[in-house]
Amino acid sequence: MKMRDVTVLIALSVAALAALVITPLMGMRMLSIGSIMADEQTRYIFTSIRVPRTIAAFLAGGGLALCGMVYQALFRNPLADPFTLGISSGASLGAALCIAGGIGGSLIGLSLVSVGAFAGALAAMALVYVFAQLKSGSSTSLLLAGVIVGMLCSSMLMFVYYISPLRYTFQIIRWTMGGVDGATMDAIAVMAPLFAGSLAVVVLLLPKLDQFVTGEDIATTRGVSVARSRNTLLIATSVMIAAVVAVCGPIAFVGIMAPHACRMMLRAPKHTMLAATSFLAGGTFLTLSDTVARSIAPPTEIPVGIITALCGGPFFLWILFRKSHQSYF
Amino acid sequence: MPLLTTSALTAGYGAAPVLREVSWSVAANERWAIIGRNGSGKSTLVKCLASLIAPILGEATIEGRPVAAYAPRERARLISYVPQATGRAIPYTVRDYVMLGRYAWQGLLALPTRDDHSAADKAMKLTDVAAFAERPLTTLSGGEAQRVFLAGAVAQQAKLMLLDEPTSFLDPHHDAMFYQVLERIHAEYEVTVIAVTHDVNAALNRYTHVLALREGSVFFAGNVGQFMAKTPGILEDIYSVKFRRFTSPDDGAVMFAPWMSCAGGLP
Repeated sequence: MKMRDVTVLIALSVAALAALVITPLMGMRMLSIGSIMADEQTRYIFTSIRVPRTIAAFLAGGGLALCGMVYQALFRNPLADPFTLGISSGASLGAALCIAGGIGGSLIGLSLVSVGAFAGALAAMALVYVFAQLKSGSSTSLLLAGVIVGMLCSSMLMFVYYISPLRYTFQIIRWTMGGVDGATMDAIAVMAPLFAGSLAVVVLLLPKLDQFVTGEDIATTRGVSVARSRNTLLIATSVMIAAVVAVCGPIAFVGIMAPHACRMMLRAPKHTMLAATSFLAGGTFLTLSDTVARSIAPPTEIPVGIITALCGGPFFLWILFRKSHQSYF
Repeated sequence: MPLLTTSALTAGYGAAPVLREVSWSVAANERWAIIGRNGSGKSTLVKCLASLIAPILGEATIEGRPVAAYAPRERARLISYVPQATGRAIPYTVRDYVMLGRYAWQGLLALPTRDDHSAADKAMKLTDVAAFAERPLTTLSGGEAQRVFLAGAVAQQAKLMLLDEPTSFLDPHHDAMFYQVLERIHAEYEVTVIAVTHDVNAALNRYTHVLALREGSVFFAGNVGQFMAKTPGILEDIYSVKFRRFTSPDDGAVMFAPWMSCAGGLP
């Protein structure tokens, strides 16, 4: 392993740990350890609101970054992100239908809007997969099927916007901006096994991603079952992204910024190192972004998706104009 | 028993097959050059052998079993492949890339063992890339990168190495160096080589056997001596262009150069 890469990994771990410990104390109201011990109301804010939010933000950011990295490698495309295959449009449509249908309440600790988003996300990915298989099963047909399903869902979403009463329309738009504010311990507990399971699958397949990036022909002749690995990765990442989006909505740019930032810090990394650093960087970034989102405009808070999107633009401008012309794929 | 045989191998990408009923056999330790015009089926044949495309009819067998019948890792221990030098950007260091060639010998997590390290080191040494082992591939010249691709295949330690136009984009220096390295690899591992090439002189000087394809069918298959005996006529039949034969006054080496008479266009 390269010294610089190890240094980056340690630095990111320290940053992640610091963010996880310190940011729950920060927000519209600064909490101190003493007041959490002493005051019941403060303790409630800390344990039932701030801590779940911090955990959700970190896992969501890490998961999106990891899945973004997987898609960039699978499609050999630096601009791929977790939502490239239309999963966010599917989730948004699912959530929108629940909101517009006036479906409230919750199921096993998860709001029904989240359940709708989760179902919408997985339904969209199932469609993408079926369309791609009907064509040729290649990564190109997957990309095209993803774009098509995404557009179909988006157009139906527009229709739902248009026919819904205004208050629902606003709720839907708010949902599509993404935010960690709705995260509860119950929701995290429901999604945790799905998240952990898909994370384990992705981690086991990281060596295959290293091969994918050299091209499908080379990967095949090296002994990788390209189609099977790709399909397994697709299922695992779909479940992970669906779990994240169901709780947090489609938070933009984390899945593309974090892996690129790590590629720049590391020296020609393989995917095990890139995955670990991207997860930490994405998690830390979203945790910090959410802290800003809930502190910047009291007494209200702004959706964290706005913060990440505001960072995304300048980030890519910087990539565009930076001196080095390192190419990734 | 031959290492590789194809029997009535027919393959292609759509309705019309590019490769028609190719029956051919390769013995261990031979080095074959596949020549023929563009679209004659050379790359299709190599891709069939590498299991990158499935034949429409017929089959290719290696060590007596159809290539499609092997599990991917098993097959990778028998057949390695170096694709056309297309300048694909690969974001790894040379050492990491060469180590990826060990995949078929590794477990689920692809953690390199001492064997893997020594195979990769040896491959880099044989291909003269050890000097820039820690550099990212994206910083190398085309000639250097092509030797790294070769190193990856060498580290794979397969019995048969398939090369698709390995020197097409190389300058004369890197071309000569590539063949020198290939010679070294062959001497070290006794690997059987099958390479697609458009370079007639390389085919006749750097390989032991020639397979000539014309419109997807075998036009000639045999050793270089047999092929040489039919020149230059056979070259005209293959490429539909006249060739001139030159003999070097220094060492008697025979070279061919395509030319067109002023009177006529392409036959």
